[in-house]
Amino acid sequence: MAPWLATGLIYASALALAAGGITLLYMSTRTFNFAHASMATIGFYVIYTGSVLGGGTPYRYFPLAFLIGGLLGVICYYGLNRPLLKRRAVEITLMMSTLGYDLILLSVIQMYCDYLTFSRRLFPRRVSMSIYDFELLGVSAATIILPLVAIVFLTALHLFLVKTRFGVAMRATIENPVLAGASGINADRVYMLAWVIGGGMAALGGAAMSMAITGTPVLGMNSIPFMFAGAIFGGLHSLYGGILGGFVIGMTEYAGVFYLSQIFGPWVLGYRMGIPLLLMAATLLIFPRGLAGIPWAALVRNLFGKKGGIRV
Amino acid sequence: MKSQSTQRNLKSLLLNSEILAVVAILMALTFFLTTRGLPMVLTILVDFAVFAIITMSLNLETGFTGIPQFGRVLAVIAGAFAVGAIPGRLLAALMGLPAGLNYTIDTVQFQVSPELTAALSGSWMLSLLFLFICLVIAALSGAGIGWLTSRPAIRLREAYLGISLLAFGDFLMWVGHNWVPLVGGSTSVFVPDPFRIFGGARFEAVVIAIFLAALLVYAYLNRLTVSPFGRALKMVRDNEVSASAAGKDIVKIRTQSLVIGSMLAAIAGGLYVIYTGTVTAMGYSRLVWTFWPWAFMMLGGIGSTAGMLLGVMVLTIMRTLITVYRFEVFGFLMAWGINPLWLEFTLMGAVIIGVILFLPHGLVPEKVQSILPASRVNSILSKGFGAKLQ
Repeated sequence: MAPWLATGLIYASALALAAGGITLLYMSTRTFNFAHASMATIGFYVIYTGSVLGGGTPYRYFPLAFLIGGLLGVICYYGLNRPLLKRRAVEITLMMSTLGYDLILLSVIQMYCDYLTFSRRLFPRRVSMSIYDFELLGVSAATIILPLVAIVFLTALHLFLVKTRFGVAMRATIENPVLAGASGINADRVYMLAWVIGGGMAALGGAAMSMAITGTPVLGMNSIPFMFAGAIFGGLHSLYGGILGGFVIGMTEYAGVFYLSQIFGPWVLGYRMGIPLLLMAATLLIFPRGLAGIPWAALVRNLFGKKGGIRV
Repeated sequence: MKSQSTQRNLKSLLLNSEILAVVAILMALTFFLTTRGLPMVLTILVDFAVFAIITMSLNLETGFTGIPQFGRVLAVIAGAFAVGAIPGRLLAALMGLPAGLNYTIDTVQFQVSPELTAALSGSWMLSLLFLFICLVIAALSGAGIGWLTSRPAIRLREAYLGISLLAFGDFLMWVGHNWVPLVGGSTSVFVPDPFRIFGGARFEAVVIAIFLAALLVYAYLNRLTVSPFGRALKMVRDNEVSASAAGKDIVKIRTQSLVIGSMLAAIAGGLYVIYTGTVTAMGYSRLVWTFWPWAFMMLGGIGSTAGMLLGVMVLTIMRTLITVYRFEVFGFLMAWGINPLWLEFTLMGAVIIGVILFLPHGLVPEKVQSILPASRVNSILSKGFGAKLQ
């Protein structure tokens, strides 16, 4: 497998997870979660700390990263999001409140890095997680495991939403909160669960991303435009759209930069972040509401010959 | 009866957050002046002035027009990069020094920049002209980027627009970081210093100049926002449908607001670059130049220009307090090797959250202004409209 394709697959899977989390939170609570940035970074530091201090492969710590991300999501929900939702705050206020949370988490991350540097004699500010990886079937394990992790996780999420009572309640609340409330569904618990899953997906995404790119305290901060781009590209009104959007944005960056650098030379590498952004801008200019204008979910359903069901 | 109302007035005066904030600011400034001396106060003032202009421009776009401007850094970058790249080249070309694409390479910079500053420090005329050209170039590039951002701003709504602006702000920073001829890529470009002519008083002079610029912007925005144009902005913000029904061209108003706001922010970026004397592309992150102005704006009270000044000042002083007392007060963190300066981020985050939860309208809530003075309304009511009602 070509190196760009291998790294691109990991990166795109990571973005798919993160963008899916953003979409889920936006659909359920109308909140554009800026804190996704620091939650992703924390996911990375969980697997880093685990691999360095606990030993073993980084993959052992992915469930822990998910749990910690979920915990951060719950804190954000009860401390911040819930009071604001009760007050019927506007979208921008909800967005700004998560920015405040993000800045606090960022300072915690930076302090934690200082602590690791000083007290543990580690170098946590520039980490290449791939050195903790092993080889599998002739390629680095991350290339196989991480897309698998993403697929398994997203399948589980899909099954949860479609097959379980709580999943159905969740979709009902997203679709129509008033009607769902009238039929006895506790919206509060649904939102909390959305934050658990959304935060967990952010942390998983960050952890996976650190296997592809250099891990720094601003890993999430630097990549949050792409997570948003993925979510917007996917249309913000369909969870599967968001996941697909994240994957497409991630793959476009790697494929685009690879082919463009073959044509124009290596200087293109510096402008790599322009490629997904142009893709997002082009999408938005043609469809000002993202790809939601196109019934992606229906298209995918038709593709597999499935009909009906509630669109998530 | 009268004493009761005076008492109530006094009570409301004491509880008035604006007055309390002003008193606290004055006390803090006096405290800094007595314990740390004048340079400390001047540093606070110049930080305050630069961010005040940026925050006021943000408030014009977000607070008055309702555009979610998450790309404030775009306009600041436009001003800073333009002042870093163009006026120095012009001067170098005039003096017959290298002014082409290689102007920004660091070896050339170290050779050219001292000569340029030496030339400026010889002549008042040239210094003033140079400063003027810098500001004009910053304003023009800011207006240009404002017009460019207004194109998507017409089509996109709310969060979509905010995220797009944020992403392109990042992209512009990376362009500056990678394209050396612009502002030197990963190295810095020196800006010839038009204030060098003041000699030893250079720092004081530049602080006073930037502070005056901030006051000018304040006066201008205060006039602008009570003008018919300012009322049109608020109308678009509050209800686009009713604004267009009243014959307001929404596209034009949003564009004008973005162009003016970006122009002001770019001037602030240009002034900051002249003050520091260098431009480094990576210094223009969205954290400092977009998110912090947002925090200042939310503390000050969205939609009130005077509130911006208070918000910026209060937070600038708090940041300075952390920097000054990082060892005395927060020294316990050093035991774990933690740099107390990260508390600045904690402070900003806590301020944003605290303001949203407990002080949603900020220190100076926006005042509801009637479009006509009360006397006019009464006279109209008594003449025609009111008479019919009676």
